[in-house]
Amino acid sequence: MTTEAKGGRVTGRPLARREDARILDGRSRYLDDIELPGLAHLAFVRSPDAHARVSEIRVPEDSPGLIAVLTGRDLEGRARPLPIQAPEGAEAADEPHPVLAGEVVRYAGEPVAAVVAESRALAEDAAELVEVDLEPLDPVVEPSRSQVELVRWHGEGGDVDGAFAAADEIVTGAYSLPRLAAVPMETRGAVASYDSAGDLLTIWCSAQDTHRQLKQLAAVLGRAPESIRVVIPDVGGAFGSKGSLAPEAAVAAVAAMVLSRPVKWAEDRLENFVAAYQGRGMRADVELALTSGGRMLALRAKVVADLGAYLLPTTAIPPHTTAMLMTGCYDIPAARVELWGMRTNKVPTGPYRGAGRPEAAYFVESLVDDAARRLGLDPVELRRRNLVSSFPHPSPLGWTYDSGDYRRCLELALELAGPKPDPEAGRVAGRGVSMYVERAGGQFESARAKLERDGSVTILSSTSPHGQGHETTFAQIAAERLQIDPARVKLSFGDSALSPPGIGTFASRSVAMGGSAVALAADGLAGRCRETAAELLEAAADDLSWDERGLHGADGRSLSLAELAAVAPELESDARFESDLVFSSGAYAALVEIEQTTGRLHVSRVAAVDDAGTIVNPLLAEGQVLGGIAQGLGECLVEEMIYDEEGQPTSASFADYSLLTAAEMPPVAAAFVETPTPLNPLGAKGIGEGGAIGTPAAVGNAVADALGGRRLDPPFTGEKLWQAMQESGPR
Amino acid sequence: MKPAPFEYSVAATVEEALGLLGEDSRPLAGGQSLVPLLNFRLARPERLVDLNRLHELDYLRQDGERLRMGALTRQATVERSPLVAARWPLLAEAVRLVGHPAIRSRGTVGGSVAHADPTAELPLTFVALDARFHLRSPTAARTVEARDMFLGPLTTVLGADELLVEVELPPLPEGAGTGFAEFARTHGDFAVAGAAAVAAPAGRAAVAVLGADSIPLRCEEAERALGQEAPAPEVGELAAQLADGAHRRALLAELVRRAVERARS
Repeated sequence: MTTEAKGGRVTGRPLARREDARILDGRSRYLDDIELPGLAHLAFVRSPDAHARVSEIRVPEDSPGLIAVLTGRDLEGRARPLPIQAPEGAEAADEPHPVLAGEVVRYAGEPVAAVVAESRALAEDAAELVEVDLEPLDPVVEPSRSQVELVRWHGEGGDVDGAFAAADEIVTGAYSLPRLAAVPMETRGAVASYDSAGDLLTIWCSAQDTHRQLKQLAAVLGRAPESIRVVIPDVGGAFGSKGSLAPEAAVAAVAAMVLSRPVKWAEDRLENFVAAYQGRGMRADVELALTSGGRMLALRAKVVADLGAYLLPTTAIPPHTTAMLMTGCYDIPAARVELWGMRTNKVPTGPYRGAGRPEAAYFVESLVDDAARRLGLDPVELRRRNLVSSFPHPSPLGWTYDSGDYRRCLELALELAGPKPDPEAGRVAGRGVSMYVERAGGQFESARAKLERDGSVTILSSTSPHGQGHETTFAQIAAERLQIDPARVKLSFGDSALSPPGIGTFASRSVAMGGSAVALAADGLAGRCRETAAELLEAAADDLSWDERGLHGADGRSLSLAELAAVAPELESDARFESDLVFSSGAYAALVEIEQTTGRLHVSRVAAVDDAGTIVNPLLAEGQVLGGIAQGLGECLVEEMIYDEEGQPTSASFADYSLLTAAEMPPVAAAFVETPTPLNPLGAKGIGEGGAIGTPAAVGNAVADALGGRRLDPPFTGEKLWQAMQESGPR
Repeated sequence: MKPAPFEYSVAATVEEALGLLGEDSRPLAGGQSLVPLLNFRLARPERLVDLNRLHELDYLRQDGERLRMGALTRQATVERSPLVAARWPLLAEAVRLVGHPAIRSRGTVGGSVAHADPTAELPLTFVALDARFHLRSPTAARTVEARDMFLGPLTTVLGADELLVEVELPPLPEGAGTGFAEFARTHGDFAVAGAAAVAAPAGRAAVAVLGADSIPLRCEEAERALGQEAPAPEVGELAAQLADGAHRRALLAELVRRAVERARS
């Protein structure tokens, strides 16, 4: 259901994904499908301990099919640790992830040695023969016990202390979200091939985009970016976990160069669980100062992030985003947020769908419900009294919300959710709502639009897909502007040798940034077509009319795009689009029931209202919402990476790490409010993460409602809920 | 996650399979449990004996009042059997809870028993139904009662040179009702706890649970209470005493209650 459709002829229409037929037929080509002559295979020897000193590594003399064993020492002078990207204003420690471990290993699963062999199975056989002597060191598992700060950030705006001194009520709460694994269906991987004659390193990566892989690989290898070509094949999901270069991919590159053979690293599921960066793992202590009438005056928060053993390129980004969004969608005049990113002996964290936004929404929205309970107010009413209602809105923490209609999202979500139902016998019921505001967009992307000989159009886009549906939405954007059938628009992306410059696919930014660049490139091409046609038709460019058949002069003479291309074969246009951040928003509501005898949580309905600005394709946008909700519900019901006191991951396979199935998906009522952003030509914000952001907070509030105000943190397992009901008794 | 090297033999007959089995060999049936163990290198047999060509062990038939299932019968075959649905509804109900459809189309009845996962539905069902397992070795054949089969997690009385060849189910008592209930994190996931109940006239009753121990257990006190027409929650409470941990006891009490209520309805 779309409110206020702002669609054009092609955009705003629910076109089916044109990439699906190819994928469903099995014609897609993933990383592990890539075969090159002479391909060798990589397996890793990984640390079994969470924290230990490496005293000696003995490599086997021989093993069937063994080509080479590389250790950290072999990489000296060939590869540097991965670069660290610190958010603005944050202090980041110089503790990068080594490509292969040095003298100390700092998490179970850290790559210590790389084994290259004629097949992956033979590489694993040889890896078993590598002997690593470790002297155990004490592991730090809980961030609260860590002495090492990897990231520090402090943000403040407004008169915080004055507001707290003047407050009628101060409500406090402590909330946390566990570490989660992204578990994309396709794991990570890389195939590296080195052409010594041309000194060109080509690397295929299962990754989100070419740009960040290329930039980080150039830094690790100390090579000029021009001497590296990154190709992104079809990618079977990432959810943020393939945004940074994998250290193992850098090893594949070095191995290919050292051995003069192409090398493949196709990660397996076990490696993915122990070594791919994880998401969440954040806790916040939050205080809210209010008047007795329910006006929010100020917020103070201390956010502690379990960052793991090292700073990967993007490890510092999610907690910084959380900190910056701690005033949520509320007009709170003053705020002070302290962020501590602590080192623990676990795999590093990084972006996972939402990447700091679900944490902020969960912390803020839980606190708002707890505050309403304290004030004796309806939690919806407390929200209504404090929502940001005029834009642009500068938050006290320093970001400027560009656009939105938060009130409308809230009212629509309530309407779609309906009232809290009477529970079945033996169950208690709850309803919860949550709001969110999401930073999206920002930085720049670019595109090139080219008129082909047959009158079709090729778009070279700097952002590439890993499941989002760029081929469909970007074709719609270009087709709308060029008045052609979207089937006549061909998309090209994912090859750094061809791609125009850009940043990448993450943070719900592809349509807002990449799509806007496509729109501008298409506009530029349209202008060139019009000028050229005007010369040929001996008319003024502005006098030409343009429809699906081509360009027409006032005298009845016409030119189709194919005819134009035949005489003007070089028509193309480049565009670069840059903008500040845009801020999507939304309201979610969840209805839940809890079985009193077992503690099982049933989520019976989710209402999702997202304002991602102008929607290019409502079908794909709704798909994003549903997928995000599924992951958000998984986080509520079953998902959690668990480490024992020795720092060993005890949920490192699908036998222990449970994922939601279709059977657990409740009915979802999804709707869009379309408040266009003024910051880009499409009016588009971002929709990739809303479901994952809004759902945990809404379900958390619904659970607290069902439990009579008792606050628990996800995952809401049967045992946890049952225990809570035993302690407090059902209402 | 590639298995350590192993020899691979395909057996064409049961005799040939028996000749290949031994201390360092593992029989391969549907592979739904063994292959992951191989890939994790937790199982490292020197030789795999592939049973999948033993069509002689792939059958499901009525023999008088009894049901006989060859060990290689796929779980999906049991799931789709009108005979099982009509005469052994507890088995029909339980088999649907084994993993997902793709798993059941490969997974076998015998494999589930021989693997003896503490959370598996079929061993629980067979214990509740007083199944008998027919075992063969190169030199002998023997029959083991279901409740004597399981020794611990992934451990049964099967010797290294023995093969489970048949599962035999007696008929349900006249007028019996049955019920199965389990608690798993998600649909198709491993069960945290489960219960199977049989209630028949003249005090004939069976109650079996998984999740109380590392093997499926019969609950004699609960069975006596069920046979004496005790209320379902009371039967559940008696069965729950077998388990440790407050939540686990609560789960078992509830699951047995549900299974008993289904059996009586």
